[in-house]
Order: sequence, then C-alpha cells, then structure tokens
Amino acid sequence: MSQLIDELGGIEAIGIFSLCLFVVVFTAAMVLAFCLKKPFLKSMGELPLEDEQAKAKTPTPPPL
Amino acid sequence: MMNAAATHQEPPPPANRATAVETFRYDNRIVRAFAIATVVWGIIGMSAGLLLAVQLFFPAASLDFQFITFGRLRPVHTNAVVFAFVGNGMFTGIYYSLQRLCKARMFSDKLSWLNFWGWNAIIVAAAITLPLGFTTSKEYAELEWPIKIAIGVVWVAFTINLLGTIVKRREKHLYVAIWFYIATALTVAILHIVNGLEVPVSLWKGYSIYAGVQDALVQWWYGHNAVAFFLTTPYLGLMYYFLPKAANRPIFSYRLSIIHFWGLIFIYIWAGPHHLLYTALPDWAQSLGMVFSVMLVAPSWGGMLNGLLTLRGAWDKVRQDPVLKFMVAAVTAYGMATLEGPALAIKTVNSLSHYTDWTIAHVHTAVLGWNGLLTFSVLYWLFPRLYNTKLWSAKLANYHFWIALLAMMFYVVPMYISGITAGMMWKQFTKDGFLQYPNFLETVQQIVPFYRLRAIGGSLYILGVWLMAYNLWRTARAGQFVPEEEVQAVSYRSQPEAHQEAAFTHRWLESKPILLTGLALVAVLIGGMIEIIPMIVIKENVPTISSVKPYTALELLGRDIYIREGCVGCHSQMIRPFRSETERYGEYSKAGEFVYDHPFLWGSKRTGPDLHRIGGKYPDAWHYNHLDDPRSTSPGSIMPRYPWLLTQKLDTTPLPARISALRRVGVPYPPGYESKALNELKQQADKVAANLTTGQIKAPPDGEIIAVIAYLQRLGTDIKSAPTTTADAATGPRASN
Repeated sequence: MSQLIDELGGIEAIGIFSLCLFVVVFTAAMVLAFCLKKPFLKSMGELPLEDEQAKAKTPTPPPL
Repeated sequence: MMNAAATHQEPPPPANRATAVETFRYDNRIVRAFAIATVVWGIIGMSAGLLLAVQLFFPAASLDFQFITFGRLRPVHTNAVVFAFVGNGMFTGIYYSLQRLCKARMFSDKLSWLNFWGWNAIIVAAAITLPLGFTTSKEYAELEWPIKIAIGVVWVAFTINLLGTIVKRREKHLYVAIWFYIATALTVAILHIVNGLEVPVSLWKGYSIYAGVQDALVQWWYGHNAVAFFLTTPYLGLMYYFLPKAANRPIFSYRLSIIHFWGLIFIYIWAGPHHLLYTALPDWAQSLGMVFSVMLVAPSWGGMLNGLLTLRGAWDKVRQDPVLKFMVAAVTAYGMATLEGPALAIKTVNSLSHYTDWTIAHVHTAVLGWNGLLTFSVLYWLFPRLYNTKLWSAKLANYHFWIALLAMMFYVVPMYISGITAGMMWKQFTKDGFLQYPNFLETVQQIVPFYRLRAIGGSLYILGVWLMAYNLWRTARAGQFVPEEEVQAVSYRSQPEAHQEAAFTHRWLESKPILLTGLALVAVLIGGMIEIIPMIVIKENVPTISSVKPYTALELLGRDIYIREGCVGCHSQMIRPFRSETERYGEYSKAGEFVYDHPFLWGSKRTGPDLHRIGGKYPDAWHYNHLDDPRSTSPGSIMPRYPWLLTQKLDTTPLPARISALRRVGVPYPPGYESKALNELKQQADKVAANLTTGQIKAPPDGEIIAVIAYLQRLGTDIKSAPTTTADAATGPRASN
C-alpha cells in the first residue's frame, strides 16, 4: 500500500494524512447519518412538501 | 421596485398568542426579478457563445472589430453564462425555497434588492469591461479589482440575508438544501477573496500577488471550486427542494443526503490541481488533486441517485410533465459529468484530453445539461405559481425539452470527436519517429467541421430558450402576479418538540445553524490550506533558475496587450514533459521559468499551438504579418486578425506604475528602474522596428505590435541563456532583441 502511494509521485506523508482525514470525515458523516431515527428522517424529508399546507389564503395553482 | 418592496414589512403576530400561529408573507417580487434576469442573461450569454462558435470556423465573423474577437468575447460568454444565467438562476431558486424552508420572509428586503441590482450591475460592468480588454486573464475571475470588490460587497449582502433568514426561521431544523446554500455562500466568498488578491496599478489594471506556479494552483483551486460551489452545490440545493416538489414526494433518502453533503464539500475543495496535471506544478499536488478527484465520484453519484430515486413509483409522471422531464435529464447530466470529471482527472486520460475540445464537451455537458436543464425546470415550475395560473403551453415546454436534448447532442458529440481527434493527432508519430502532423494547422483543419456542427447545437439550444421565454411570458400574461404570498406558521419558540433532542447528533446539528456553518467552513478550508500553504511557503516547490530574468519594459507592456487580447484563451504557455510536445514545441516548461509571471498565462486550451518556446522561432516580420493577417503566414488558420495592433500607439504612461506594482509583488526590478525604463523601451522598440525592415516592413517603433513582438520573442528563451548566478537575477531585465 505504502509503495502504491509512493508511486503516485512525491505524495508521501501529505497524501497519507489527507486520505486519513477523509476517512475520519466520511466515517463521522456515516455515523451521524445512521444514528438518526426514522421519524425524524421522515419529517425532514417531507419538509419541502409542507409549505403547500402552510399556505393560508393563496390558492394553489392548478397542475400543468 | 426596490422601494416598493422595501416598504413591505412583516405584519405583527396575531393578537391571539395562545395559538402561537404567526401570519407572514413570502416575497415573490425578488424571485420574479431574478427569474426574469435568468432568462434575459441566458439568451445574451448563450448568443455570445454562438458568435464565438461561428468565429472558430469563420474567423471573419469577428469583423476585424477588436471588441468582439474570440479572445475578448470568450470571458464575456463564460461570465454571462456562469455568473449571470446560472447565478441569477441560483438566486431565483434560493430566494424562493429558502423562505419556504425556513417559513420566514427574507431577512431584509433591502439586502434582497441590493443583491439583485448589485449582481446584475456587476454583470453589466463585466459585459462592458471585458470587450474593452480590462481583464486579469484568470479564467472565471477575469474581472478587474474594482468589480471584484463590488462582487465581494454584493456577496456579503447575500450571505447576511441568507444567514439572517435562517436565524429568524420558524422551522426548527435546517433542510439539506439550506446546508448546500450555506456551503455555497461561505466557500464562494473564500475562493473569491484568496484568488482575487492583486496589487492595483490603475482603475482597470492590477497584478496578481501570486506568480507562476503558485498563481496557477490558487487559480485552479478557485476555478475548479467555482464549478463546485457556484455551479454544483447551490443547484444540488435546488434539486433537493424542487425535485420533491415537482414529484410531490419526499427525497429518496435523507440519510444519503447527509453523507452526500459532507462528502461532497470536503472532497471537492482538493480537486483543483487536476487542471494542472503534467504541468510544472509539483507532483505531490498533482497526485492529491487526482486522487481526490477520483474519490469525488462517490458523493456525486450519491446525490444523483438520491435525486433520480426520488422519482421511484412516479416515472409515469415524467412522461406527462415537462418539469420532471427537464429535472430527470438535468440530474442524469450531472451524473454523466461527475463520472466523466474524475475520469478526466486520471493522469493518463488527462494527458490526451487536456488542452482539447474534450474539456469543452465536458464543461458543456455539465452547464447545458445540469445547470441549464435544471434552471429551465425550476422556471417552468415557478412561473405558474408566481402568477397563480397554469403553464401557458405544456406542449411547447415539451418541444423545448426535446430541442434542448437534441442541441446538447449536436454540441457535445462533435466536441468529443474533435477533442479526441486533436489529442491523438498531436501525439501521433510516424514509424520513423517523427511527428505525423508536425504542422499544428493540420490538426486544426481536421476538426473545423465539428466546430460547424457545434454551432448548430448551440443555435438549437438558444432556440429552445427563446421558446421558453415566450411560454413564460404568455404564462405571466394569462395569470396575475402574486407579489406577496400570505401564509401562516407556528412560531419558532412555541413549537412543540416532536422529537427528543440529543446533543452531537446530526439532528441537533441541523438545529444549530451557526455550528453547522462553522463545521462546513472547516470542511472546505482544510483541503485548500493543505494544498496551497506548502506551495507558497516551501521554496523547494519552485526550483530557481538563475538565468530567468524579469521582462523588459517593452516586453512587459507587450505581455499586458497579450492579456488584454485574451490570447490565453487559445494558446497555452505550458509544454508538458511528453515527447510529442517537446518535439513539437521544444523543451518542457519548468516551474522556475514563471517566477516573474503575474499572472501566470499557462492557459487551458490549445485552439492554436503552445507559445512557451515561440521566442526566436520565427523572425519579427513573421509575427508582424501573422498578427496582421494570420492566413497570410498560416493558410487555413482560424485565428482572428489583429490589424489594430499595427495602428494603435503603445501607451507608455502606465509603465512606471506597473513596474512599481510588480516590484511590490516580488519582481526584482532594480531601484529606480522606472526612470530609465522608457529609454530602454525605446531602444528595444527601435531594434524590433529595424528587424522588421529586413522583412520589407516599415513600422513605427511606437506601435503596439512592436511590444507584442518583443514579448513573443522573449517567451521561453531565458533557459537558453548561459546560466548566471542567482544574484544576477536582481540586476534587472534582459532584452531578447
């Protein structure tokens, strides 16, 4: 693996550090995403559809 | 309009506070203004592109009029399409969706209109100054420093308005679209400031504080991330809002959107160096750029699949609804472009594709497909709602869709063929080891037919936009504009907490806009810092070449004319270390050769040949005749004529200020050089004029063409000189004539 990265051309430590950093960020995002509960995911996913319901007085335009 | 809108304040909350329901109004005026500007600038920007396309197979289309030559008009086209068409389209979508996702009117109507008028005034300023030749020459950052400052002010107004709206929202959690808007606002500001740093010389001239390799890295860190954070992230935000709206179903996976967002903004910022593969940029930076570019395909496709899978179970709607048709095609184009991008960032692929029309095809797949089609879909969706009616003609919108698809095929397929053909011809050797096509013009002539086809594609695409403009206009006429949309929502503070809030979860983060903004900022800063800081502070990244000297006064002014005319749009100054290039152009380019180049002029496209070793290759008279009429020396050339260079006098008045400015950014002009520079300039100009007489040309030594010839003859010649000590570099410029 080390030899493979070396062959990328002068990348050395800075490349390994960068890739490790990415793994940390990506793993953190995965953990955060998979810790979320379904009711919350559902309510957030439906957020763009809510503003139609919020309209109090303006009629909804007919479909195309 | 501005005053009228500014007077609309939110009504006070209802008297009955027990219900905790507030009545307020969404501002549709600002949305409509941006939407109209989107259509108008789309037509203008694309028409400029069509004129450029025609000039590439019919050079006389420039009418020998200096303000519309390819070099000067190209940045008008790119700026008009990217910042005017897509920029206004982005604001249209953001101003509409942000209010609704936050359940709040925009933070400040005044800032909204400052954003609108300021942004569009900047575009008008660009459309005037770029044809006049006021340009930094840095791609997508061509505007000179006063306009750059104006961009900064307007962008700050937009960012305050964005964050202010988020702060006063009535929705507990920030939807994914808003994260993308935040990342856009922050990152574009950072990119604009860092890349835009220059020393002003006069009102319309400045020099980049970076030189050569550093300038190239900063520029393409900016350039690539302008694609990422101006053309991509805001439009992903629009996709996450408008696609569920149009399909009337929630996004496929909110979980996936979290991974998409953080993965994308973290990785994108590293990918800039893939624009500089095999150049004089140090290998470590190239490798980082390549690896992260390849990794970028994962979050990009995560986003694309999230968009397309939102339509699961609703594909029957796509057959009927032109809005969904446009959206599906746009997201598919995004997927194609983000698969192709990483492929082009692989060094071996890039060695063929770079400098060719393949890059042009790639860019237009993204902009015509992703940005263009998504913008059209949003406009078709929005106008009926803004005017409380239905679309005047769904049939016409469907025609637009098919015309746009056909146009894209006519555009990108010829460009792929052209790019691959040129790339392979440049590299082709005979069995005896000689270049198969040593004359660059042979490769140009081979691809001219594809330029004609491309122009047909461009024409069709513009035809589609005109149809859309007519359709939207008729829609507006048929309905009645709803300037203020009155709605009700539960106030932020009195909302019942439906879910348990645990700290350090993403849900918690989505309710903390400041923290989310801070983390997004860290995510986008890391990559840039790791790549740029070592490049600037570690001297070994740019090995010094002692024989490389600053430009002489005449060459300096000649270089500035080269920048003014936009020569960098068609000619690179970067010979890559391939035998096919060293055979054709000469020794490959070294990092140390560009240490006095403010800005760098490596270019990204070879419509004409590389010029880094053009110095001394032809006599002065050849350059004179070539610039007067390229076809007189190079039959079949598609380069425009530059007859005004023969007649316009060289303006030497800014010379002292330019020398001083360059000294301030590190060019070692000796103290007091300003006072003797003019004399030196005249001596060198006399020599060039004398050289011209050997070619039966009588030219006055004070013409602009003399300076351009001096600059061209200097290019790439320094390393041919006998090595001198490093200290000699500070003894002043060396004339090549």
